[in-house]
Amino acid sequence: MVHEAYKEMIPARALSALDAAEAQTLNEHLENCDECRKELEEWQATAATLALTSEPVEPSPAVRERILSEVRKDLSPEVLPFRSTSRNIWSSFGALGAMAAVVLLTALIVGLAVMWRQNQLMQEEMAQTKEFVELVTTPGARVSDLKGVDLGAGAAASLAYDQNGHAMLMAKKLPRPPQGKAYQLWFIVGTKPPMPSKTFSTDKSGTGMLKDQMPKEAMDSAVFAITMEPEGGSSAPTSPIYLRSFEVN
Amino acid sequence: MSLNPSKSAAPYIPRLQDTDVALLTAIAAHDEAALAQLYDRYRAILFGLLMRILNNREEAEDVLQEVFLQVWRKAQDFDESRGRPFTWLVTLARSRGIDRLRTLAARERVAEAGAREPSDEISDAATDAFKSEQRGLVSDALAKLPDEQKRPIMLAYFEGLTQSEIATNLGAPLGTVKTRMRTGMIRLRELLAGQGESFGF
Repeated sequence: MVHEAYKEMIPARALSALDAAEAQTLNEHLENCDECRKELEEWQATAATLALTSEPVEPSPAVRERILSEVRKDLSPEVLPFRSTSRNIWSSFGALGAMAAVVLLTALIVGLAVMWRQNQLMQEEMAQTKEFVELVTTPGARVSDLKGVDLGAGAAASLAYDQNGHAMLMAKKLPRPPQGKAYQLWFIVGTKPPMPSKTFSTDKSGTGMLKDQMPKEAMDSAVFAITMEPEGGSSAPTSPIYLRSFEVN
Repeated sequence: MSLNPSKSAAPYIPRLQDTDVALLTAIAAHDEAALAQLYDRYRAILFGLLMRILNNREEAEDVLQEVFLQVWRKAQDFDESRGRPFTWLVTLARSRGIDRLRTLAARERVAEAGAREPSDEISDAATDAFKSEQRGLVSDALAKLPDEQKRPIMLAYFEGLTQSEIATNLGAPLGTVKTRMRTGMIRLRELLAGQGESFGF
């Protein structure tokens, strides 16, 4: 089938109205054709406006509660439900019961300590995210997107900075650096040597954050890049670029 | 994206979208408050859509919950270069809604179009990310399509019918349905293109 024939199927695909066989043929073509994929995205935007022909309706407030309580379950570590039991259960087990109580108490203390630590990490992460959102929404703030290249393929980052050069980088899907290594951000202006920023690491989920003061020269026209360097950082890049911005800011 | 100063509503919407992107970024980093905010912006439009597809409050609420839990888990997959948050959310909700409709084999939905209970309050537009003007623009554009083009589009979008099913449903040849659907979509896009900034195309 020729490219044009596929293109004709795209509006119907955006309505998911293609019959199964046609849908499969088109999907195979989409995997290899950037132009058609782009076109599908545009048609999906058109199709999505149809949703606006439905009258908005208020769901019951319970739905919001249910969603948020599910989400909180995701956020808090698994905790076994604690059943209140009467004291004489322990006494009926005698010494064994006392030992079990000690084991349980120890487990509880360890569990609480772990929870406290996790909670602390989460609070830190949330505070950073909040700071990032605040920076992005500051009047005059700018955001530059960095895309993973070569070794960093699949990763992405956003660098936000305000008019005073307060900059914050948020990276996603960037693998944890090996022992002794860290990622480092660079400001590249024209053909001058890259100016070093700070280093950062990423967590299990590939998320990493960095805060720095951006040099004045970088604020008007710079490319931002991330490399992998020794933990303390380098004064000039020593590795290939993992992520970079593609437009001069 | 350039703003067209001749349209008074235009500068407002891209700003909303910037906020949506910031919210999705925060949700990807597991910010619960950001999820609550995104929910409040979209709940009425998405629930209205799901009610239209499923015509059943309980099912629609269940799917709405599924949609936002998926947003929570998949926000990091949202890619701004591939479309607007509005498109992403609506496409996700509509596809979940149609999946549910199929699962329920509820094509013969309780037919009373007026089956909405009085408690189905039409949303207060103040909390709604999409004001009635935007909805009006789409309805106007759709009203300009001939019925024969509009019906296949609506049957596909809101009832999840495929082109063959639509042909059977309308008693029209498959080729004709394909042509009308395509012509209708092209016309719809042209009509909305004039309002492009309002929809973030």
